[in-house]
Amino acid sequence: MRTTKKAEKDMVMSAEEAGPGGRVARVPGDVSPREEPPRRPRVRADRVGLYGLLGLAAIFSVFPLLWMLSGSLQSLDELLGGENFIPSEPQWGNYVTAWVDGELGTYLLNSILYTGTAVLGILTVSSLAGYALARLEFWGKGVFTVVILAVMIIPAPAMFLSQYKLLIEFGLTNSRLGYVLILITSGIPMATLIMRSFFVSQPKALEEAAAIDGASRLRIFVSVILPLARPGLAAVAVIQGFAAWNEYLMALVIFHDNSLMPIQRGLTSFVSAETPQQQILLAATVISIVPVVVFYLLAQRHIVKGVGAGAIK
Amino acid sequence: MTSTTTPLARRPRRGHAVRRHLLGWLFLAPAVAFIGVFTIVPFGQSILLSFQSWDGLSADTPFVGLDNYEFVLHYDAFWDSMRNVAVFAAAGFFIGNGVALAMATAVNRITRGRVFFRTVFYLPGVLSVVVVGLIFSSLFNPGSGVLNHALELVGLESLQQNWLGDPSVALPSVAAVFIWFHWGFGFLLFLAGLQDIPRELYEAADLDGAGGWAKFRYITWPQLAPVTAIVSLLTLLAALQIFGTVQVLTNGGPGDHTMVPTLLIYGEAFTNFRYGTAAAMSVIFGGTLVILSLIQLAISARRSRA
Repeated sequence: MRTTKKAEKDMVMSAEEAGPGGRVARVPGDVSPREEPPRRPRVRADRVGLYGLLGLAAIFSVFPLLWMLSGSLQSLDELLGGENFIPSEPQWGNYVTAWVDGELGTYLLNSILYTGTAVLGILTVSSLAGYALARLEFWGKGVFTVVILAVMIIPAPAMFLSQYKLLIEFGLTNSRLGYVLILITSGIPMATLIMRSFFVSQPKALEEAAAIDGASRLRIFVSVILPLARPGLAAVAVIQGFAAWNEYLMALVIFHDNSLMPIQRGLTSFVSAETPQQQILLAATVISIVPVVVFYLLAQRHIVKGVGAGAIK
Repeated sequence: MTSTTTPLARRPRRGHAVRRHLLGWLFLAPAVAFIGVFTIVPFGQSILLSFQSWDGLSADTPFVGLDNYEFVLHYDAFWDSMRNVAVFAAAGFFIGNGVALAMATAVNRITRGRVFFRTVFYLPGVLSVVVVGLIFSSLFNPGSGVLNHALELVGLESLQQNWLGDPSVALPSVAAVFIWFHWGFGFLLFLAGLQDIPRELYEAADLDGAGGWAKFRYITWPQLAPVTAIVSLLTLLAALQIFGTVQVLTNGGPGDHTMVPTLLIYGEAFTNFRYGTAAAMSVIFGGTLVILSLIQLAISARRSRA
């Protein structure tokens, strides 16, 4: 909260500087008050240009989504004709057809289940490991940190084949458990580094007080450290939640049964197995993004912060 | 018990030290288990598998020496796919990050609507690769897609294309989708970086009479260097690993004109059932990515020390 306020203030300042800065460059040394009136229009013109540019970029970002929304409400003939951007008669039935034919209920429930369990698993594992790296002194700590960094660098394309082979050996292909285990594993390195830097930035006073009271380390961790770590946990949950929800490659490799597939895999299965009409497919796509988009719009401030934290660490 | 001699006093401390080491590893144990079993073991197996032959079913995986690597070295599709992702990386690097930096600078200068633009610019970034692929395969559709209709409306029928089916247009089309999908991410990081630059630097520059460009060149750009390094690395890695979007948009076609390494590896294993050659490709490709990351990290470490 505090950082956002400060950022907003900074932003106001820099916007105010923009005008005088340019003026100083053009009329060096002249600071007479008579310069004041002509400055106004130029600043306004700058503004208009700036907002124009930003508006264009905003249209670039949003147009494909609006077009998808529009197409999902048209009849096939209207869509193929391509005359209207606003549907002449919204075909809400497309959504019913998409929901039923696409088995979207099953896929969405699966996605919620996988995302929820994966995020819980990642939070548990990475907060323990992050705390150890930040606060405990023990042999092999440096080695483990290096291993985590190295593992983060190994890309999914280098591993997904052997992860699949390993799951075959464990009898965990086409299995919910196998998929969640892979999701948790891929989230751990980044989450651990974020939690580590979060714990490092926390004051030690409270846990020292608890230690003096005679509480065990694990007890301190659960009842003192974790409740204080909520902002860090929230950032990790947001990044990993999106990652798990949007995961596709392993879902493609692992699942054969439609009843087990998460939404991303379900959508491509719908395309290849049913070859739905275009407007139905667009409706299915809209339904599939409703959860993430709603969540994003509600929590966008935390998400922006989380994305930053994930990238810097 | 509270002896004054040093050896006796040390003994309990040594026991304490052992417990301290154990405690550390106890906290790490779950992470070690996950990373060990599902990352390090498969990583080793990938390398092993690249020297073997396996059809994905049989229990037998005979060693074939360097055969897989020899095959990959002469496998045109693989090198085409490497070239294609290099194109995506260049497009994301120059165009995507250029747009991201320009828009971050613009948003940083406005007073109203900052949250709105930030929300809108990052919106594509929360979508999945599959969703992005589905949206744009409709949008690019030569018959019903909005792109060709829009060109017709403004009388530019001559610019109409079979966006994803024409070999010469498909690659730029997919690159454009990648830029659309990915630039908001760089934008967020650039914006955060801009807001961290101390205001005093600009005030001092104003006193010296510096113009807008001079301020960008001598304050903003050097101050943003660490963020630029991170954004560049992440853009490169994202472009090189692109998979789902391409699979949905073109499945690598027409021909192999939009083939990407991950998709080729996937097909080699799960369609052609040649896991050995697929593993050899993933070792070469994964190795390239690792080396790129290391170079980039080394450069940015040296720069931050300088």
